[in-house]
Amino acid sequence: MIVQQLLNGLVVGGVYALFALGFTLVFGIHQILNLAHGAVFMTGAFIALYTVLAGWPLWLGFILAIAGSGLLSVLIEVVAFRKLRQSGEAEFGAIVSSIGVNLIIVTVAQKVSNTLVLRFPFDTFPIVIYEFFGLRVSALQLFMAACAVALVLLLTLYLYRTQFGRQVRAVAGNERAAKLLGINPDLVYFQTFFLSGALAGAAGVLVGLAFNSIHFMMGEPWLLRGFVVIILGGLGSIPGAMLAGLLFGMIQTMTIAYFPSGLTDAIIFSLLFLLLLIRPHGLLGRPEAGAMRGR
Amino acid sequence: MEFLLGYRPLFDVFLLHTGYALGQYIVLRAGVFSVANAGLSSIGAYLAAGLTLKLGVHPYLSLLAGTLAGVVFALLLSWPLARLRGVYQAIATLAFVQVVLSVNVFAEPLTGGAMGLNGIPRVVGTWTLLIAVGATIYLMTAIGATRLGRAFDAVRQDEAVAVSLGVSVTRTQSVAFAISGAVAGLFGGLEAFHGYALEPNQFGFSFLVAILSYVVLGGRRSVIGPVVGTAVLVALPEIARPLAEYRMLVYGALLVAVIAYLPRGIVDTLLDYLRRQHMAARAASTAGRQS
Repeated sequence: MIVQQLLNGLVVGGVYALFALGFTLVFGIHQILNLAHGAVFMTGAFIALYTVLAGWPLWLGFILAIAGSGLLSVLIEVVAFRKLRQSGEAEFGAIVSSIGVNLIIVTVAQKVSNTLVLRFPFDTFPIVIYEFFGLRVSALQLFMAACAVALVLLLTLYLYRTQFGRQVRAVAGNERAAKLLGINPDLVYFQTFFLSGALAGAAGVLVGLAFNSIHFMMGEPWLLRGFVVIILGGLGSIPGAMLAGLLFGMIQTMTIAYFPSGLTDAIIFSLLFLLLLIRPHGLLGRPEAGAMRGR
Repeated sequence: MEFLLGYRPLFDVFLLHTGYALGQYIVLRAGVFSVANAGLSSIGAYLAAGLTLKLGVHPYLSLLAGTLAGVVFALLLSWPLARLRGVYQAIATLAFVQVVLSVNVFAEPLTGGAMGLNGIPRVVGTWTLLIAVGATIYLMTAIGATRLGRAFDAVRQDEAVAVSLGVSVTRTQSVAFAISGAVAGLFGGLEAFHGYALEPNQFGFSFLVAILSYVVLGGRRSVIGPVVGTAVLVALPEIARPLAEYRMLVYGALLVAVIAYLPRGIVDTLLDYLRRQHMAARAASTAGRQS
């Protein structure tokens, strides 16, 4: 039983990892805490849902969701952060600015969905259950795990094995120096925000399929838990976010299974608070990632 | 007079939120990126309402208890938070707010759970709120002119310099935390005795976000900043009422636009502009005299 729960947790954790990777990517590279990330996640689920409702296949919805939320995220960067970057007050400013963007997206989504909780039509994803050694795994869970692994691998390859990825990491290290070396930072912002949004959108579709409840407020709890995951892994640390996502999924499933359900959030957030006291930089974070840096 | 009376509820909301914004402002001024105020206000509100409802304590004594609870919890928080900086403080205090919220929902016998507390006597009116806000603004302005206020500014601007000047970062930030906790607890209690009912989500993530926006939009270096920020953001949904469900869209767009063009907030940018004008005028007049 406990192994089954761990397995379920691991699958959910993969989705947390996808969500948190985009979040931590933008923070690690640009020191921007994008509070509209939950809204981008929600938009991904919406795009896939409306594609399916319009009669198109799910795979197309999935691709459109990834592309659409990636572009939305780029748009957020251009509208909300680009001007702010030049002012040198980005840390506080970006938070409030992304709160504004979040409000706009959520209001539009509320209008589009008429404040309803929407569902994918029955049988959008075939319901097949496999059994391995007494463990039950649904086809959807396998698909979720496969997506998470594939996207994380792609991201890692992109960042560590391509010319673009090298530029991105150069900007993360020192934006001024990167500029002097002829790297166009705007292009790098475009890439990181697109990747971040695309990952969030993919996570949104997977969550929409798994829990089959899509509504305009679905991003907020994920945003709050996303904080836990990226802190757990160390702000800006990509392997940290992956590990922490998986760990978090398992912790959450375990607390839901073995504690009173009302206490889940209390337990999770208390753990986060305690962790910050013991390891202020998270599990895999390094001090220079920003924890001890003044404003 | 009719006109004014019609807007009285809105004015009360403005006063309450100004109080919350000032509580948030004082920690930011001392360089602590804490968003714990939502949790502290929640504790103050529930303690005050609970004491009066369950034990029959006089509302004013309950308010005092709520304020003290704010101070105690703020001091308890400030001790571990001294190890953290910047965004890490923000996220740790966000975790605190979430813990308060979910414990609040869970502890149903004490707090009424998700239903909250009802039938709280309404003893706080516009005048009480005005006095509370006035006193808080006075306190904040008075602090600004003392050694403590300068210590806040020094710690915010550069910790290393502050330490070299003999200012203890930890102690200064704890004091800021305690003041902030007192203001948050007091206004939480005032809200409880002003609105008949309390429910846990009132002090959740959206509350935290609203208060932070007041301060950042208005400006976080002067006492007037948070007041102006609150006035703008509280009045805006009312002014945009004809837009019906699109008014939150306008609210969001305003936040984005103001932060993009006035990143220091409305008041701080204005003050900087006036100061520069003044300097330029002075420079011009001295230059004129010399030639």
